[in-house]
Amino acid sequence: MRIRIVIWGVTAALLFLLIGLLNLEIIHGVRYRELGKKNCLRLVPQPGSRGRIFDRQAEVIAESALSYDLMVLPQDALQREKIISSASRILGISVEELQRVFKNNYLSASVPVPLARNISVKNAIALAELKGDLPAIIVQPNPLRHYPHGKAGAHVLGYVSEIDRWRLTKLKDYGYKTKDIVGFGGVEEKYDYYLRQEEGGVSFEVDHRGRLIRTLGFKPPVNGKDIRLTLDIRIQKICEESLRGRRGSVVMMDPYTGEVLAMASSPGFDPGVFAQKNNAEIARLFKNPNSLMVNRAISSAYPAGSVFKMVVAAAGLEHKKINANTSFVCSGGMRVGKSEFKCWSTHGEQNLLAAITHSCNVFFYKTGLLAGAQAIHDYALKFGFARMTSFELPYETPGFVPSPLWRKLNRFKNWYDGDTANLSIGQGEVLVTPLQVARMTAVLANGGYLVDPYIVKFIDGKDVSRYHERSEKVNLKKNTIEKIREGMRSAVSDPTGTANALSGLGLAIAGKTGTAQAPPGQPHAWFCGFFPYESPRFVICVLLEHGGPGHISSVMAKEIIQEMLKQGLI
Amino acid sequence: MRNSFFVILTIALLICSLGVLSIYSSTYQKEGELWQTIYQRQVLWIILGLFLFYVIANMSYRRFWDWTYFLYAIALVFLILVFVLGTTRLGAQRWLRFSWFNFQPSELAKIAAVVFLARYFSRKASDDTCLSCAKFGAFKGLILPFLFIAVPVGLIIEQPDLGSGMLILILFTAVLYLTHVRLKYIALFLLLVGSALPFMWHALRGYQKDRLLVFLNPDIDPLGAGYTVIQSKIAIGSGWLWGKGWLAGTQSQLRFLPEAHTDFIFATFAEEWGFLGGLGLLSLYFLLIRQGFLIAQRTQDSFGKLLACGLTLMLAIQVVINVAMNLGMAPVVGIPLPLMSYGGSSLLVTFIALGILVNIDKTRAVF
Repeated sequence: MRIRIVIWGVTAALLFLLIGLLNLEIIHGVRYRELGKKNCLRLVPQPGSRGRIFDRQAEVIAESALSYDLMVLPQDALQREKIISSASRILGISVEELQRVFKNNYLSASVPVPLARNISVKNAIALAELKGDLPAIIVQPNPLRHYPHGKAGAHVLGYVSEIDRWRLTKLKDYGYKTKDIVGFGGVEEKYDYYLRQEEGGVSFEVDHRGRLIRTLGFKPPVNGKDIRLTLDIRIQKICEESLRGRRGSVVMMDPYTGEVLAMASSPGFDPGVFAQKNNAEIARLFKNPNSLMVNRAISSAYPAGSVFKMVVAAAGLEHKKINANTSFVCSGGMRVGKSEFKCWSTHGEQNLLAAITHSCNVFFYKTGLLAGAQAIHDYALKFGFARMTSFELPYETPGFVPSPLWRKLNRFKNWYDGDTANLSIGQGEVLVTPLQVARMTAVLANGGYLVDPYIVKFIDGKDVSRYHERSEKVNLKKNTIEKIREGMRSAVSDPTGTANALSGLGLAIAGKTGTAQAPPGQPHAWFCGFFPYESPRFVICVLLEHGGPGHISSVMAKEIIQEMLKQGLI
Repeated sequence: MRNSFFVILTIALLICSLGVLSIYSSTYQKEGELWQTIYQRQVLWIILGLFLFYVIANMSYRRFWDWTYFLYAIALVFLILVFVLGTTRLGAQRWLRFSWFNFQPSELAKIAAVVFLARYFSRKASDDTCLSCAKFGAFKGLILPFLFIAVPVGLIIEQPDLGSGMLILILFTAVLYLTHVRLKYIALFLLLVGSALPFMWHALRGYQKDRLLVFLNPDIDPLGAGYTVIQSKIAIGSGWLWGKGWLAGTQSQLRFLPEAHTDFIFATFAEEWGFLGGLGLLSLYFLLIRQGFLIAQRTQDSFGKLLACGLTLMLAIQVVINVAMNLGMAPVVGIPLPLMSYGGSSLLVTFIALGILVNIDKTRAVF
């Protein structure tokens, strides 16, 4: 019966359709449901802007500006030509140049090609208005980190860039995603969590032409929190300019609170280069043999040289091995064990005041040998050496101060008197950072308190400095500090003093130079000091890497203070 | 024998109501007076269709025997008129404009072809109840009826409406098979059609070629010819077991799915009613088609038997092709889903066909 066969055929066809329906709706249902959602749901992200960074005078030193990029969808050649000619008219760039840029940036037919970056708001609006006639035109806004003071404070601020793999794995749990812009180095990295903006967005339903049907949800973007530093951008600029690109660092600090007023490191870099994604320039920054990206004030440690003598003097005085009247005769050197230890000059009879004034090595060899290496080590630690300063910025190095016990345990060697002599003038294995030296100077300036240096004063308008102020009293007799201060004052005021260059500024400055031998090459030039002498408000520490004798640094300190006086900052 | 009348009426009304619901759902978000009232127009067509269904169910189907050539001629005239006066919509000239509606003559041609074939192959039956077409030679059994069918089919394909044309050809083959024409003639016919296919490829319009290519691989042109199939598959696939609910289907509501109220109404329906809805709808069609074949099997009159078979097959083939094309299992052709798709001509012709079926069942005892 043919009719039966036809009926079976029709039934089979209907069953076949049912199986097709089952396959599409149930077996592949999840996939198609996703596709359906993708069809009609759109998410338009709305980026917030990263928090701003101010200096202590509320001067903006890092902010988020919007920049606009002109891009073109390359599909339609005719439209492209029109866009290029109108863009050339609006932006004032020649058509040939734009075509060259287009060719260089072209990837594929569906990827928008950037024609011009960082165009002004006015031009961006003018170009966006053309979108009606030329839909292939795209004006893309980008939040861009902007630094009104250019390179000033670059090491303190750090820079922002796309998150790297290491940070991403570390920070994934805190909501960081790939392609996020995060801070690298300095305040930008340390306080990234606060500065960071939260991306908001609108999700809405669209129809087949991408027209909005209804808004499904809106999450407002949250701007990052603003941070106000203790840094004074004017002083910072003076310090950076006085370094004149030489390798070195200047730290200025409030001796009582530990507020860092300036922290210059040279040579510096322009953080704006990272914001603009100028890759060639970025590669050059990292390849520079002078290590531009290193904040020399906290991340490099140097032999201390004569600035360490204050520690030795304090150890001697506190242990009653010397007093203000103790004198030693400097005959240009002395013999310790089998070797001859030299002084940089022949000073004759020197008491403590004169020894600090002239930076006499022999006096301190003898003081150090009397006090002992362990005492020097202990007092160095009291002054905050050989450990982190608890400063906020990342990548701080603790430096190092040796001790006989350490030598025994780690190097399996004995400690000799010669090592004590070397330690007494801050040579040998001693390594200190400019910030640590500034902190030590602050102890002498403020009468015996070890302050914790800090640089962030307000986060989002809240005073966070109280979390920093934990200045502890260093157990020093008043007399000890007084004697050393007198010595430092004398080093400036005495015509034969090593820091005499700083006299005659109309300001009572106390200071100490240091010449740290660092063969091969020139010694590191140190200067640490504070002013005004009676009621100190500033501590300064200058270091010039392989800059020559300490005198050079004292001259630089003079320039800085002179300029500050000129600008009325003191 | 009124029972088949009520069974068919119930099933048809159920399908029609689901159709109206889906048409309403796919159009109520569109702007414009025309879109807002489109479901009301469909209701109007259904009422008119029911009226026709009632009239024809009570009118002896033997009259179609008498009217066969008249029907055939009318269909031809309309098909020719389409070329002269037809309105062009969606790139095809398929409609004749009357005062307030558009009439699609290819729908009439379908039913005329079925009536013609039924009469042609059953003319000997009045004096011999046994179908004797098995004794037909090649000319009588194949060439002559084919020539009669080829004229309207050619006109329809020229409109262009490849789908309806092919539908009539498939129907022709099926009727040949049912009337016990020798299998070797049918095989010959299929062979001829098959060998003509490569030549017909060149006669196809560009969009028709695209649709066939896209059917083989929808991803070659996802925003052009493949768009409809992809969106239809997404619509059906995202329905899942229960569907998204009436008026909640994003694919049809937000107009990602083109022709959501006509050819792709099954996708609209399946998106909102899910697999269970689709299962129910296919079951309803199965019951309707089964009723048709039961009537055909119960009928002793060869004309009635062939007519019932042909009309049922006409419905069945349309359902299968339309649903298959919604599922992406057949190329996209302009064949509506009977009783569901918006469109007066298709609806009226379907109701006429159902009316004839009921009448065949009612009057079979006469002979």
